[in-house]
Formats: sequence, C-alpha cells, structure tokens
Amino acid sequence: MKKLYAVAALLSLVGLADALYLTIEHVTGQSVRCTIISGCSEVLSSPYAVVAGIPLAVIGAAAYFTVFSLAILALFGYRIAGTLLTPVVIAMFVVSLWLIYLQAFVIREFCQYCLLSAAITVALSVVVLISQRKKR
Amino acid sequence: MKRILPFIIILVVLGAALGSAWYLTRSIPASPTLVTPVAQSSGSPVSQNTPAQPQQPVVYGVPGAEPAHVLGPTNAPIRIEEFGDFECPPCGIFHPILDQMHTEFGDKLQITFREFPLVPTHQHALAAASAAEAAGLQGKFWEMHDLLYEHQNEWKKEFDVRPIFEGYAKQIGLDVTRYRSDMNGELVAQRIFQDGKRGHSLGVKGTPTVFMNGREVPFENLPAEKFRVVIQNELRSGGK
Repeated sequence: MKKLYAVAALLSLVGLADALYLTIEHVTGQSVRCTIISGCSEVLSSPYAVVAGIPLAVIGAAAYFTVFSLAILALFGYRIAGTLLTPVVIAMFVVSLWLIYLQAFVIREFCQYCLLSAAITVALSVVVLISQRKKR
Repeated sequence: MKRILPFIIILVVLGAALGSAWYLTRSIPASPTLVTPVAQSSGSPVSQNTPAQPQQPVVYGVPGAEPAHVLGPTNAPIRIEEFGDFECPPCGIFHPILDQMHTEFGDKLQITFREFPLVPTHQHALAAASAAEAAGLQGKFWEMHDLLYEHQNEWKKEFDVRPIFEGYAKQIGLDVTRYRSDMNGELVAQRIFQDGKRGHSLGVKGTPTVFMNGREVPFENLPAEKFRVVIQNELRSGGK
C-alpha cells in the first residue's frame, strides 16, 4: 500500500513538472507564437488552452500538486487523504480523455507535453485502481 | 515529527514549484530583444514606463512595401503595425481582437499589416500572403486579409489552396484572371520580400509580432483585455 502511494507521489511530481513547463511556455509565449525555427504549438495557442481566463496548464499544475499532497499524506498514514485521492484522479482522467479528444478531433494537432500529462494521469489512475482493490 | 513531516514535504514542493515558475517566467524574455535601435530620441533616455509592461525600445528599421496596407487616419495617436502570417493560429486568434480594438477606439487607431509568412513552418503561408497582396493590387487587400484569417482552419489543412483562394477572389469581386497572374507576379513577390526585410530589421522572429508607436507589444499582452489596457495607457501617455 505504502509503495503505491510513493509511486503516485512520484508520478504526480513528474506531472507537476510537466504542467509547470507548459505553463511557462504558455505564459511567456515561447512556443505559442509561431516562429521560423520551431513552429508554433497549435494546441497551446488554441482557445481550448484557456478556461475562464486561466491557462489549462496552471489548472493541471494545481491538480498534480493536489495529488502529490494527498499521496504524501496517505503515505504518512492519513487515511482520509488516500480516500480523497480516488475522486481527484478520476476527475483528472476524465479531463485528460476530453483533452485528447480535443487534440485528435477538434484541433487536429498533438502537443507532446500535453500527451505526457495524459499518460501520467493514466498511470496514476492505474495506481489508484490497484490501491482500491488492495483496500478491499 | 512524523505527523508534521508530510506537511513539510508538501510545502517544500510547493515552494520549489512556485519559485521555479516565478524564476523562469521572469528570466525568459517574452519577446526577442530587439537589435540596435537605429535612432534614439534626441539623447534623453525613454523613462515613461506604462504600468502594464516595461517599456520596449522604439525601433525604426528599414521601410517595408510601399504603399503599405493601412487602415485609419495617418495622424492617429496610436499606430499599430502587425507582422502576420495568415496560416499562423495565434495570428488567426489575434485578428478578431485587433478588429474589436479598431471598433472600440475608432479613429484613434491606425493599423498597418506587414506580410511575414513563415515559409518553412507553414506550407501555405506564402500562397496566402501572395493572394492578399494580389488582391491589394486591385484595392481589396483588407477584404482578402479578413477572409484568409476568418477561414484559416478551412484551408490550412488542404493540399491545394489555390482554388480556395480563387473562390475568395471571386467572392470579393476581383478580376480573377488578373488576380491569377498577379499571384505569381514579381510585384507581389517584391512586396512580400520588402515587408520581410522590414520585419528582419526590427528583429521580428515570429508571428504575430505587433508594434505600437514603434515599440514591440510583448506577446503575452495581446489578449483583448490586456491589449485594451496597453492601448489605453499609450493614449494616456500622449501616444508618444
């Protein structure tokens, strides 16, 4: 059980770093603006990258930070944190599915770091599922 | 101690995340630093900082294509110059924003468009720039400019955009035979080249790059609500 929470904490740290990177890209316009050398991220510059004025990457970073905090608390024996972890990760999984759908069918471009985030969320979901099974 | 340790770890990670985000957003310049301003305003350093952003230097650069595509009065207090690429998604997003500002500020704005097609990045950017310039030779640049931006998503994935652009030419009432020969003509090619040369002399590296009264507006200030404030500040400082 403890191992699973440690894995979840590590995964969410990677997710947090990824989301922070996307936030910085978004805020500074590094890859949002089109350039001759690197081209632009059609995903980050799309209207879907912002929800109610907040870049999605920021929301993602907050979500990963939440998962990290819950996983660490659960690791140190706070039971309630382990229980809360499941709904948060499920919500992130659903949002990730929606974002993959947007990239594949609406924007029709993929962004590597957005896909990495989706992959981490999928991995987190697997970890949470296993921890749920072990509880029973 | 064991009860407090997780909170310490969480706080450390939070601090590291916020700290690195703060440091990186500050240390990466939002826009490429502009090369050597050609002329300085008579020796006195520019000191009137607007609250919204640190002041960018005034740049002059070489002239672009003449006559330029200009909307609004020549004596307008705010002169906006956009270097754009019709295939670039953020340029497509910026188009309605600039339109909205034009409606809101009216004759206080003068808008100039410069061609900056990113050729290796966008497959149809040059064709689109040529279509707009060819329309310009018949006095319909802005009509074509609007259609190209508004329908960007419809043509950018196509293999052959020429028939689509010809459709736009018909739609805005161009002489299509003349448009077709102008598209591939030297005059259009020269205009695009001249605008590109001006862009390079101003340090433009990407699109959209927007200058206001000779100063670059940082990319992150281009969303409508921020851009409006930038214009208001410039108006307040006397448009100088």
